[in-house]
Order: sequence, then C-alpha cells, then structure tokens
Amino acid sequence: MKVSLFITCLSDAIYPRVGEAMVRLLAAHGVQLDFPPVQTCCGQPSYNSGYWEETRTAAKTILKAFESSDFVVSPSGSCTYMVHHYPELFKDDPYWLKLAHELEAKTYEFTQFLVQVLGITDVGAHFPYKVTYHPSCHGSRLLGVKEEPIALLSQVRGLELVPLPFAEDCCGFGGTFAVKMSDISGAMVEEKVDHIKETEAQVLVGLDMACLMNIAGNLRHRGEQVRVMHLAELLYEGVGVS
Amino acid sequence: MNPAQSTQGTVKERAGVALNNDFLRNAVKFTTERLRSGKQAASAEHGNWEEWRERGRQIRLHTIAHLDYYLNLFVDNARKNGVHVHFAPDTAAATDIVMTIARNKQAESVVKSKSMVSEELHINRALELAGIETIESDLGEYIIQLAGEGPSHIVIPAIHKNRYQIAELLSEDAGEELPPDTTILAGYVRRKLREKFLGADIGMTGCNFAIAETGSMVLFENEGNARMVTTLPKTQITLMGMERIIPSWEDLEVMATLLPRSATGQRLTMYMSGITGPKRTADGDGPEEMHIIIVDNGRSEQLGDSEFQELLNCIRCGACLNVCPVYRHIGGHSYGGTYSGPIGAVLTPALNRNVAEWDDIANASSLCGACSEACPVKIPLHDMLVYLRRRKVERGHGNRWEALGMKGFAVLMANSKRLNLALKMGRIAQKPVVHNKGITLKIGPLKGWNTYRVTSPIADHSFRENWQELSEDTRRTARPMNAETWDRMEQILRQRRASGIQGGHHE
Amino acid sequence: MSNSQSTPDWLNKLEEQSRISQQAFIDNISTRLRRPRMTEAPDHPYRGTPAFWSEFEWDSQQRIDKFTTHFQEVGGHVVRLQTMEQAAGFIADHAVQMNARYLIRQQQLELAELRLEERLPDVQISSWNSDPDEAWKARAAEADIGVVMADGAAAYTGTVMVTSAPHQGRSVSLLPTVCIVILPVDRLYTRLGELLIPMDEIGRENLPAGMHFISGPSRSSDIENDLTIGVHGPGIIYTLLVG
Repeated sequence: MKVSLFITCLSDAIYPRVGEAMVRLLAAHGVQLDFPPVQTCCGQPSYNSGYWEETRTAAKTILKAFESSDFVVSPSGSCTYMVHHYPELFKDDPYWLKLAHELEAKTYEFTQFLVQVLGITDVGAHFPYKVTYHPSCHGSRLLGVKEEPIALLSQVRGLELVPLPFAEDCCGFGGTFAVKMSDISGAMVEEKVDHIKETEAQVLVGLDMACLMNIAGNLRHRGEQVRVMHLAELLYEGVGVS
Repeated sequence: MNPAQSTQGTVKERAGVALNNDFLRNAVKFTTERLRSGKQAASAEHGNWEEWRERGRQIRLHTIAHLDYYLNLFVDNARKNGVHVHFAPDTAAATDIVMTIARNKQAESVVKSKSMVSEELHINRALELAGIETIESDLGEYIIQLAGEGPSHIVIPAIHKNRYQIAELLSEDAGEELPPDTTILAGYVRRKLREKFLGADIGMTGCNFAIAETGSMVLFENEGNARMVTTLPKTQITLMGMERIIPSWEDLEVMATLLPRSATGQRLTMYMSGITGPKRTADGDGPEEMHIIIVDNGRSEQLGDSEFQELLNCIRCGACLNVCPVYRHIGGHSYGGTYSGPIGAVLTPALNRNVAEWDDIANASSLCGACSEACPVKIPLHDMLVYLRRRKVERGHGNRWEALGMKGFAVLMANSKRLNLALKMGRIAQKPVVHNKGITLKIGPLKGWNTYRVTSPIADHSFRENWQELSEDTRRTARPMNAETWDRMEQILRQRRASGIQGGHHE
Repeated sequence: MSNSQSTPDWLNKLEEQSRISQQAFIDNISTRLRRPRMTEAPDHPYRGTPAFWSEFEWDSQQRIDKFTTHFQEVGGHVVRLQTMEQAAGFIADHAVQMNARYLIRQQQLELAELRLEERLPDVQISSWNSDPDEAWKARAAEADIGVVMADGAAAYTGTVMVTSAPHQGRSVSLLPTVCIVILPVDRLYTRLGELLIPMDEIGRENLPAGMHFISGPSRSSDIENDLTIGVHGPGIIYTLLVG
C-alpha cells in the first residue's frame, strides 16, 4: 500500500511544518507517507491565468510523481481540486490522460483522507483554545469538503470552536488575483480579518496555506495576535507527538 | 457626476474609485447581503434545492440544445396569436425596427418596463434623439434615468444611490422639494407615472420567458409597472433575447420556483403575467398591436461552443451578483458594461466577441466559485472566467510580462532539482529584506500585496530538504496500521479497480 | 392576424422582411449547433417539475390556511367567508369605511349578483366594458376599489389568478387603489403548476390575452432597500375566500 505526500509548492517552500505535521500525524496512525521528489507544483497559478501550456509542464511532474501510488494526500483543497482539471488539460494526449484519470481517482485532501479513507475523526488531540475555522473556497465549494474538518475539530478536547461570520466568503487570495487586482483583494482580506476579530478567537484554523498565508499577512499587518494554523499543525500540536 | 458611473479606464481603475466610495460599498454590501440571505432562507424553506437546480438546468440545456426547433415554434405560434414578430441580428437592426414602428405609429411617448436587452441596445438614446419621450417606469430604473446612469445591479438598478441623492433627483423632476422619505418619494413616482402610463403611445417591455408551445410571453415583477405597460398603451413592443425560451407552461413552474427565490428570496414575485397575443377584439384593454423583437446581438455565437453554450441558460436572476465578493466591493458600474457581476464578467466579452478589450473584467475574480454555487441553473461561471483568460492568451492578447513570468514558472517547475536550486537562491536573495520573519517591501509585484500584508519569507529549509531526516525519524517512531484501517483502504482500492480506473502500486 | 382590417403597408413590409429573416435566423442556430434543422419535437425527459413535487398536495383546510399565511405575510389581506352574500356585505362595509367614491367591477354575473349598486347608492359603481362609449381605462384609473373574481389560486405561493376577457379587464385588478378578489374556495389548489398545466392543455387558441398571477400588494425596495407598498399596482389587496 503506497500512500504518497503531495506537498504543494507553498508548503514545500514556505510552510514545511505543515507537511511535517501531516507526516508525523499519519505515521502515528500507521500510515507511512512516501515523498516522490519529482513533484514541483500542481500548476494552478498558470492554469487560472489562462496559460495552459505552461500548466501542463508543471502538471506532468505531479502525474509522474504519483504514477505508482495507491493514495495521494495533500494539505491543500485547491491543489487537490486542480488535479480534477488534469483530464481536461490532457484530453488530447492519451498517455497523460490515462494518468490524469487515475490521479483524479486517488488524490485526497488531508481531512478527506483522515475521515473518508482512514475513518478517523478523533486523533486524540487536546488543544484548549478558542478557535475559528475558515473553509477555503476550492476545498469546500468545489471539492465538497464541508463536514470533515468540523468532525475533526469537534473531537479535539478543550477546543472551543466559534463560528466565523460569513465564513464561506472568499479571503481574497485567488492566486494572481491578489497581485493583479490588489486593491480589491486587499478589501476582501480586510473584511475577512474583520470577521475573525469579531469572533475573538485565539487561533484561526484552515485547510489551505494559500488562504492562511493571505489572511496571516493581513493579521500581521494590522498587529493582530491571532495565531494562524493549518489543521494538520493544530492536530499534531494537540496530540503532542514529539 | 457620480464617480461610480464613469466608464473610462480599466476595471481596475473604476474599481479603485468604487472602493474609495464608502457609501457605494456599504450600500452594495447591505443590499447583496440581504438578497443572498433571502435566497438562502427561501431555498432552504422550499427544500430539495439541488434537485430543483438540476431540473432548471436540464430544462434550459434542453431548450438551448434544440433552440432552432423551439424558437421557430414560438415564432409560428406567436404569429398565429396575432403578434408581429421581428428578428434583429444586432443592435443596429433592433434599433431600426423599433424606430420604424415608433415612427409609423407617430409615437410621441414610450413607457418602458425593465428590460436588460433594451439597455444592451441603448434604445432610450435612439428614441430620445428622435424626439420621442422615453420613460422608465420601474422605480429604480426611473431614478437612474433621471441621473443619466446605467443600472448597477440586474435586479436593483439604483442600489448605489442613497435616499438623499434620490430625493434630490426626484425633487428636481417634480419641480418642488421632496423629503428623503421612501413613502413620499415612491408616492410621487406613482402619481407621475400614472399619467405617463395612461398617455403613452407605446409600451416597451423585456421578456423573462417565452413559452414556445403557445407563443406566449411571461413577465415577473413586484411593482405592477410591467402590467401597466402591457395593458394601457395601444401598441406594445417586447424586446426578447433569443435564448429566453422554455417549451411549456409546465416548465414555467420550475422557473417560477427558481427565479424569485434566487433573485430576491421571494416565493413568487407579486405579479407574474402571461401574455398571449394582443387584445382580443372585444377586450376593453390590452394593446391593439403587439410586436416582439427577437434579439441575437452575440448570443448565437455561444451556440456550438462547448465552453460557453451554457451561458445561454442564464435566467437573469442576479444571484451570482449577490454572492460575489468582488461585486460586493466594487459595485456594478466598475464592470463597464450592461451586465455586471459574475454573469456580466463572462457575458460581456462573449456577446462582444472581443475578448481582448474586456480582459480586465475576467481578471476581477478570485475564482472562489460562489457564483456557480448560487446559480439556479448551474452555469459554471468560475470555469468560464478561466476559459476567457485562456482564450485571451491563445489569441496573443496576453500581458507580455505576465507571459514571460509564466514561461519562467514553467521552466522552474519542469524539474524539481531546478526548483530546489531556485529556492536556495531565493533564500539568499531575500535575506536583506526579511525583518522579524516578515517581508514588508513594496516594490514590483509585492507592492499591491504588501500594502495590506506582511509576507512570510521562504523557509530556512524547504520540506524536501528536510525529507530525508523526517522520513528516517518517523520510520523509527511509527506505529503499525491497524487491521481495520488496512481493510478500509483495500476496500477502496478494490472499488476503484472495479470502476475501471487502474493504476497504483499493487502489492 | 388579429386585425381583419387591411394591415398598413409599412407593417406588411416588416412582415415580409421578418419571414425572410426567420429562415436565416433559425438556420444560423442549426448551423452553429452543427446539425440539420430540427423540425420534429424533441424528447423532453425533464419536462416540468421533479416527480416528488407533482405529487405534493395539501387537503382543503391546509390549502386555506397556507394560502392565508402566505398572502398575509407579504402584506395582503385574507377574509374567510361562507357566502357571496357575506362577500357583498364585506365589500359594501369596506367601501363605506374607506369613503370610496368610485368602484369598478368586472362585468360578471356573480359580481352583478352582489347588487353592490343597491348596497352603495352613494358610490359610483361601474361594470367593466358594459358601455362601448365609455373610457374604461380612465374609469378604472379613477376607481378607489376594483372588484374581480379569481379564476384560480395556488396556496403554496399565495397566488390568485385573474384572466382577461371582453367582460374582464386587466385594468380592474391593476389601476384602483384597492383590489378585492373574490375566490371561491373550490378554485384554490396547492401548487402553481396546477394553474399552469391546464394552460398547456387548453391550447394556444383558447388562452386569454392576459393571465395575471397576483401574490400580494405592489411593492418595491429600490430606494435604499426600504420596502414601500403600492408603487404602481394596488397597495391594498383583499382576497375574500368564499365557500
């Protein structure tokens, strides 16, 4: 049984601790993740901007990396969802198309893997803080990840989950959107942080480092003390595995 | 001049103006929140919303896929009902037909009910140039007509105006001071428009749906002005987008379930009117002469295009506007065309056949997908925005610097060793600008981003650099998988193989 | 054509133009859809509402209760009465209370039998289209109250349906300040579809020119989201549920 880690470029380069948390957490449940190093990036940035040829270049590293995997787990809903675009990208290339269909069927976002595949909602974590949850757009709307993170959070002892007002509103990242339409993006992230402040939560938890990076950036800019964590990091810290 | 109304410049520039207009933002935010929570409540109360959406989608897909049959059927039936039907491939043709009718009827005044198609055609301007008084009768449309502006929302056109601005406009119209009180202002418009309804030569309407099997047209409204416009003047002209067809009255029930709930959270609009031909000879009211002008104006371009044909499903409810975070912040005028919000972002370039010019709009989206989720007929708007962006690039209208950047991205991402090297170099390069574990530098692409954020730097060691150590460490401390979990995973693999998807590691 | 008189030249020309255009317009659609012209009705497997909905029905009392709730929720008024005699009484009382000076009703037998003319000697009562020389739209416009019979109603949406005919003016339920709709209880159905499907069944030639589905008083929230009632159509609407 080969279970592989799809690290995502963001976690690889900027937030390696998220990947580490995933690896250790899953190891504690008997899942030894392997890491095929040829993977680079799912290709979202170029795909979303309409540069599909460039996207195929990046996507091929992902398809190659996981060719022999049984399960692929990723700490990002948007990167996992990107894989669903691969059949469309390679529709004219039977070799890559086959790999694309296979990868689509075996790739899971982290909470999907824990809950749907492993059947785990209680990892034995203790995290006595006030926490609010931001559901990332691609993960929740497009991939359909809605109940899994809530199921996991509700089993964490001592954790007080406060609902985030207008939680399903986009945080304003949108990849190149944040750079190209920076003022609109800025207005959106400011609104998101306003809502987070309303909850008076100590911790903001989420499933996608792109959103969390974006929100954390504005929180810091405004001098707010809210801690921003990926759910994998929160659970790992809560389990206290060292 | 209302800054939110200028159509100069790019979407980004207009959006910038809108973002600085606090009233506009608050007004749009307040209204869209009310409308979207109304929709959520109404659809939840009704229940089985997903099944209704799918039904609506199938009916519209079916009709569009057989549009030659249904449109032809509609036209033949409408003619049999006594309606004069006309065809307008574009704005010029439609305007020409309207002006021909108006001229020959020696019309001095036209009273209009809401029609987005008429906005597309800018028909009011043509009529006014010919010296024909043209009055919008929908309260919101009347207000913006006085202001000389276009609508900023498909359903609530004057969302961007506050009561003081409205009072000022109506006071000027009335020739007397009117207080900023909704009841009084609406009362004035009611009285004023009564005279116009009763005296107008021509009533001009849009068309929400046309029933193919009986040649009828259906109008949804809350004020009663569309009923006025189709009851009192002697001549009626209806402007209809060629795709606004459904096969039967039975199908209308599905649309009547989806449209009002999606638009305003209502179970049904106060008035829904089914009009089948002009008045019967002995009837005491209703138009003696009725015209329906079927408008193409770029719609048929979407037919046969597997990526955009579904655009024609649209029932113009505005639900996508109400959930769009971008629209909420920048308002309708920033989009620069007749249609705003997510539907506008796709429809405008599609209808204009000119992807290059309208690129700006397709970029004003974070692709969050809220629009597609809200759409009662399941149009995949967020996917269409990406297709628009791709077509722009394919046709060579992409931004040169961005294209270069993307090529660089591809070169980097083609090879993991190359990526690793780039990260190492990046780490060195960022050293001078990292302070207190953050980057606040505001130059180049970081300028906009760092206006609102402190950026996280590249980590000291990437995940892949740490992998060796991490992997060995976890192997040492790992626990074995329990049998139950193993069985679950095996089961999933078996199911996957059974459904024909091969691949994976077979032990 | 509805006019048996000769059509003017300009209209004939447009007509000719239109028939030529029709061919090109429709052919363009078939061409773009990349197939020959479709001339037979295609199979429409998703016609109408989902199956679970078409089976949905309330009993008589539920229909009355739900109709009442829904109609009142949006600012309409519902009065439960047993006989047309009571309806006549209600209308007369209301007209007096309102100090109504003008009342217009449809030229229907059931409404004539209310004998409103006798009950309200001080009110100018007119019967739609009863006199060919009268300016009926103006009469309706000046009326304080318009009285109509509902041809049908749907409880789920809180809707009454009125149709046009020589003796039934669209203006009667539209122009006066107050609209009173008399709805015999046996015409109250559960779903809107129960009013719509018969339209498919009776056929094109038998449809009236105007069918109006009214679900409450005229309203608008166009000014700063502030709800206002009675913008163009009647701001006050009563449904008298009789029987």
